[in-house]
Amino acid sequence: MVQLSINGKKVTAEEGEALLKVARREGFVIPTLCYHELLGSSGRCRLCVVEVNDAGKKRVVASCLYPAKENIEVFTDSDEVRLVRRTVLELLLARNPSAELIQHLAKQHGVTEVRYTPDQDKGKCILCNLCVRCCKDIVGVSALGMSGKGPMKKVGPPFDEPSETCIGCGACVVICPTGHIAMEEEKGVRTVWQKKFELAACPKCKRYHLPLFQLEWISKTRNIPVEELMVCEDCR
Amino acid sequence: MTTLLPNVRTFAANVIPKEEFAVPGHRACTGCAEILAVRLALKGFGRDTIISMATGCMEIVSSPLPTTDWTLPWIHVAFENCAAVASGVESALKILRKKGKIPDKDVHVVAIAGDGGTMDIGLQSLSGALERYHKFTYICLDNEAYMNTGIQRSSGTPFGAMTTTSPPGKNSIGQSTWKKDMPKIAVAHNIPYVATACPSYPFDFLEKIRKAKMVDGPSYIHVLSVCPTGWRTPTDLSIRYGRLAVQTGVFPLYEVEDGKYRLTYNAEPLRPITEYLKGQGRFRHLTPDSIATIQKRITTDWEALKALSDSSAKAI
Repeated sequence: MVQLSINGKKVTAEEGEALLKVARREGFVIPTLCYHELLGSSGRCRLCVVEVNDAGKKRVVASCLYPAKENIEVFTDSDEVRLVRRTVLELLLARNPSAELIQHLAKQHGVTEVRYTPDQDKGKCILCNLCVRCCKDIVGVSALGMSGKGPMKKVGPPFDEPSETCIGCGACVVICPTGHIAMEEEKGVRTVWQKKFELAACPKCKRYHLPLFQLEWISKTRNIPVEELMVCEDCR
Repeated sequence: MTTLLPNVRTFAANVIPKEEFAVPGHRACTGCAEILAVRLALKGFGRDTIISMATGCMEIVSSPLPTTDWTLPWIHVAFENCAAVASGVESALKILRKKGKIPDKDVHVVAIAGDGGTMDIGLQSLSGALERYHKFTYICLDNEAYMNTGIQRSSGTPFGAMTTTSPPGKNSIGQSTWKKDMPKIAVAHNIPYVATACPSYPFDFLEKIRKAKMVDGPSYIHVLSVCPTGWRTPTDLSIRYGRLAVQTGVFPLYEVEDGKYRLTYNAEPLRPITEYLKGQGRFRHLTPDSIATIQKRITTDWEALKALSDSSAKAI
């Protein structure tokens, strides 16, 4: 255990624990988009910046990656931090002008003007990597990935073609902080990441529930007969 | 177009927040879906939340002295002024923040009340708070009667239901009037966000909470919460009855953003109403005739709502 101070308050933490985690536990507010309690830190959105004074050496760091150390002073809302945070939000707003969450955060932090030319082709994606990590670690199919470099970098299934491994579970839709990923259901077909899934109709009530492909996948990995899964949970 | 969330559940369940704000130890009845709704809603709102709660089931079960179920600041107020207290708290926070007396952080104010506290007793204070445009969220936990005092009818009780003050008999069908359409009343205040939700569809519910938290102004969420005690249903089927209510069209899931209706769950083809009514003790006395009346009304209401949703979709 180490002792440190956050905004003047003395707190204890495990050595090496992310500052963001410590600060949130103590009730300090640090905005972030790419941190998830299950998937951990990736340091991509840069919104969680804090100022750290480590024995006289001051700098602004991403709190989700910076480890807790003995006797450091952390400031979550200093002028320096606000300046960096505003710049980050301005850049995010220029990248994703249509994302409601970013508009909301920008307004909250007093960003009214954007000095940069807004992008039109990025949708609401901030490249936080949460969907990629969720697909790999939680669902376990790794259907998504990053491709391209620099301004061309984007998230999606390999080669932008309908993925062979995607099971259409929608976990990426739920975890996406800005709502970039669209999933639509119409007439027994679910579309997500350009892949069309035929939905299974329950033999008892004839209603569509989950994609057939997903049921087959669950049946294969969990050893449950498909016939059992075909019946929707309301008729089971 | 945004996404329809009700049908994602297999893996998405892993990614919702783990931190609990309505902790175990409360005295809710076995199979209570209302406490599930509270738990999910608080997960959505997060730690920086102040709750103003009217008298009702959730207040009774969560705060028997000297224990409490809440890990958040929580105020218990009378039936009639839940929304008024929430609006006062919101105004106070605003002015204290302006004067620099509290840290400048975004604290969301939530008012929670039951159907009696919302539709009957608290309606005028809710109307006032919505009209004054306070930035808060009002959640109505609708279990369709005054359950904690012993199942008396409220204006949220559906047609034909048995309650202790609307007993069925030779000259009575049970509740003789139709359920008050509370979400429409909220929409009529021209507030930015109104939604209906059900804890049987948790992702849809969380998405609506997220939206309600983000709007700049009041938001109203109407939550159907199954009550095994008052509805006389088996305690293990609360989630199923919530799903049946949605799928039969009794309680459609929709949201209204700036006056634009959108169905968030397309229940078509609607299940026959008998599937929902059968098994509920409060509807046991209904004759095929009265069931047909209810079915007709439900279908008409559903068609009307669908028409509203379609015309809003075209307007965008």
